Amino acid sequence: MTVAPGSGPKGESLLDHEYDGIREYDNPTPGWWHAIFLGSVLFSVGYIAWYHWSPMSYSIWDKWNRAQVAEYERIFGEIGDLEPDEATIVKMMGDSRMMAIAQGTFIGNCAPCHAKDGGGINGVNLTDEQYKNVKQVTDIFGVITAGAANGAMPAWQNTISQNERVILAAYVASLRGTTPAAPRAPEGEAIAPWPGAKQGSE
Amino acid sequence: MSEHVANASGVEAGGGAVMERFSYDDRIVRMFVGATILWGVVAMLVGVIVALQLAVPQLLTKSGFGWLSLIVNTEWISFGRLRPLHTNAAIFAFAGNAIFAAIYYSTQRLCRARMFSDVLSQLHFWGWQAIIVSAALTLPLGITQGKEYAELEWPIDLAIAVVWVGFFGVNFFGTLIKRRERHMYVALWFYIATIVTVAMLHVFNNLTLPLVIAGAIKGQAVTGADIAKSWPVYAGVQDAFMQWWYGHNAVAFFLTTPFLGLMYYFLPKAAEKPVYSYRLSIVHFWSLVFMYIWAGPHHLHYTALPSWASTLGMLFSLMLWMPSWGGMINGLLTLRGAWNKVASDPILKFFVVGITFYGMSTFEGPMLSIKSVNALSHYTDWTIAHVHGGALGWNGFMTFGMLYWLAPRLFQTPLWSRRMMSTHFWLGTIGILLYVLSIYTAGLTQGLMWRAFDESGRLAYPDFVETVTALVPMYWVRVVGGSMYLVGMILCGVNIGMTWLKRPKVYEVAEHEAPALARVYVDPPRPGSRLGANVGVGHKADVFIQGWWHRVWERRPLKFSLFVLVAVAIASLFEIIPTFLIRSNVPTIASVKPYTPLELAGRDIYIAEGCYNCHSQMVRPIWAETKRYGEYSKPGEFVYDHPFQWGSRRIGPDLARVGGKQSHDWQVRHLEDPRQLIPQSLMPGYPHLLEQDLRFESIQARVDAMAMLGVPYSSAVREGGAEKAAREQAERIATELVAQGGYPDMQGKKVVALVAYLQRLGTDIHAPAEPAAEATTQAEAGEHEAKEEKR
Repeated sequence: MTVAPGSGPKGESLLDHEYDGIREYDNPTPGWWHAIFLGSVLFSVGYIAWYHWSPMSYSIWDKWNRAQVAEYERIFGEIGDLEPDEATIVKMMGDSRMMAIAQGTFIGNCAPCHAKDGGGINGVNLTDEQYKNVKQVTDIFGVITAGAANGAMPAWQNTISQNERVILAAYVASLRGTTPAAPRAPEGEAIAPWPGAKQGSE
Repeated sequence: MSEHVANASGVEAGGGAVMERFSYDDRIVRMFVGATILWGVVAMLVGVIVALQLAVPQLLTKSGFGWLSLIVNTEWISFGRLRPLHTNAAIFAFAGNAIFAAIYYSTQRLCRARMFSDVLSQLHFWGWQAIIVSAALTLPLGITQGKEYAELEWPIDLAIAVVWVGFFGVNFFGTLIKRRERHMYVALWFYIATIVTVAMLHVFNNLTLPLVIAGAIKGQAVTGADIAKSWPVYAGVQDAFMQWWYGHNAVAFFLTTPFLGLMYYFLPKAAEKPVYSYRLSIVHFWSLVFMYIWAGPHHLHYTALPSWASTLGMLFSLMLWMPSWGGMINGLLTLRGAWNKVASDPILKFFVVGITFYGMSTFEGPMLSIKSVNALSHYTDWTIAHVHGGALGWNGFMTFGMLYWLAPRLFQTPLWSRRMMSTHFWLGTIGILLYVLSIYTAGLTQGLMWRAFDESGRLAYPDFVETVTALVPMYWVRVVGGSMYLVGMILCGVNIGMTWLKRPKVYEVAEHEAPALARVYVDPPRPGSRLGANVGVGHKADVFIQGWWHRVWERRPLKFSLFVLVAVAIASLFEIIPTFLIRSNVPTIASVKPYTPLELAGRDIYIAEGCYNCHSQMVRPIWAETKRYGEYSKPGEFVYDHPFQWGSRRIGPDLARVGGKQSHDWQVRHLEDPRQLIPQSLMPGYPHLLEQDLRFESIQARVDAMAMLGVPYSSAVREGGAEKAAREQAERIATELVAQGGYPDMQGKKVVALVAYLQRLGTDIHAPAEPAAEATTQAEAGEHEAKEEKR
């Protein structure tokens, strides 16, 4: 029931409600409010139909699978599957694109212990001539894969794909002979230079 | 002003025109006002401290700044323990007392009745303050449930239930029943929704098994802080669902609906203007109450939550946009014709800025709930900026406007300094802007850095700490903005304190007079149809949309409350029942086994230290994320996680797959002082974990409690073998630690348990399907798997 018709700023009517002096106008809800509200409801119905029931839609997991295939193809598409043998690792050491990718893996996973430049923190220095569990270049792949030193070096078999471990091994091999900012003292025994590669070429 | 014209067209019948005399209890309002100011200062001061804790750590490695480690590394105030204190104080102490002040002041006047019981009012006040004090004492001690905004342990939870329902609820509904105003004003609807829904959320999210109960059943003594320890009855995906059903609706029904009620009373009072639209009040109230409840899963996009729940969370958030804006429209349009007053009155300025921030937050909320937007924003500071826009802008400024409006009325003397109030307004406004703009920038920066790839196809920022270092300048701006807001709060305290000092010796208590409600009330006649339609249904619809039936509801408080309860309960059950009953939501993974007794003890340390405040345990199926952290998380990996620890913010990296990534030695040194390994780290050091002894004797009861919650421990471990198993594993880790060149003699220390837990995280998925020797015997594991297959 309205009283005082036309008393509002735009000629609205006051309602007969009063609470501790507070009055209310009999204004309609705005049209655009209804339109957007209704629009959001209709969108929701359409979204469910499209996202959950339509054959054209894909889930976030499908999308991830596609991304994985696409990325693997982009990075390793020309090379194919890599074997962890000496020839492959040495070859990869000379592939600057692969070394850039492996550097990303190294910084994300290895740098917490070995430092970004390989100089070592509480993991060993990877830049000097001495090695604890490595006699030849393929051993680097083995250590990355299965770990070493009672778990001081963790095993990465389950977390990093074989191709990435192969190029990572090559990257670690390429660190030999570089000059880190704060090197950790050498540990282990001096070993022969890597076969056929200029050391520290990257 | 007070000439009473209500019910002009309804008829009070059946006798009862006897006038009654009564007065309002303003003392209780003064008490809540005082508590609001006190806890406001505390909450914001702690906020500035936690902001500093994120800004200063990179200085620690510089000479001359070593003393700052007191702020960062002190056990009782380390970030993980203090941040829950900040959030709880801001929500439940500052905003809580503010809404109680608003409700006690306005409800009495809107009902034209004194509160139902002065004793209940006092019990409510002192009970609530006692709860706040016990929160402030227990959280720094690491006594926590480990669920955001529900950290308080079960004894405090029980007290909250008693004070909220038994004191506050009874007092409020008692007042509604003995009211002298026939119809309930919209502010009261919002108060009803608040009281009913918060009670429901609080009870169902906090269903836990206390350690003392498990201990009592098994005949084991539980001592010390363990008396307060409990674990949620829910685990993993279901616990996550319940938590964000609660967490999101705490925002809805603790920080939104009561403040809308506050707005609907104090804004028209301060502006001296009628409310813009009664019909909008009805439509936006019911749509808000019904839709808010569904939106919780938007906090869990891209997680292991089933996708149907994620979709509901997003869509109901989008649909919630207009219901939320209904409040903003009604608030701002009420000021039509009063804008000249806004220019000169700081109280109205506070309200206008508050409502504007409400409008911005409730636009941003739906936007952030869109899955693809959330993929960028989630786990970043964007969320932090979003809540602070709401908390500082909407809750804070509405509270300040109310406090300044109330002060002269409650203390019966003019406000001490109008200029200081104005200064507060500008300090606060600039403070909020500095805060949110810097933290939005921080959020976007980090979100974009996480997902950036360079042209070679590798992550552009593979080193997580780079993505944190980039934020530190913004964190300093936040410290400045937050400090300005805190100074404003202190000015408010000084101003109102000085006003209080000028109060009269004896407060004048106004006597009011009104008739009791008649036993019988005849509603005005139903309106007729205004249409020229020639179908009956058209006429019926037109009569319906004129809303006469709602006017009837408004004079039936219990029926009204029941409808609110039905609305929120139905919406809840629509999501909760499928979450718990659909098996395919959480496909089991045979190789996922319960934590060993030592890992379980380590997990409780993880929870007590509040690690979840900075570390998530949820790798989302997003390419950049699996590239950084490893395989995305599966629902079946969390079935033994009471409580879930997925987290909501990554100030540090995700830990879902951290197990085995570093050596024990690295973990121990990193916990001792992260900066000895990562100089730019913002993480606190936990040297006390290397010194304090692990209480092995408490482990048996923990395992028993987990077993009672359905975690399949072997009979050997259940029947007294837990402590021995834990000591053996601790010895093993300590030996490996020494072999790795780490510290000696760690087998009895807390750090061993925490490292055991961390090294387990995320590794089960690659474990051979054989049972882990520590947890289950061959036969039992076989049984367990057979059961799973049957499912």
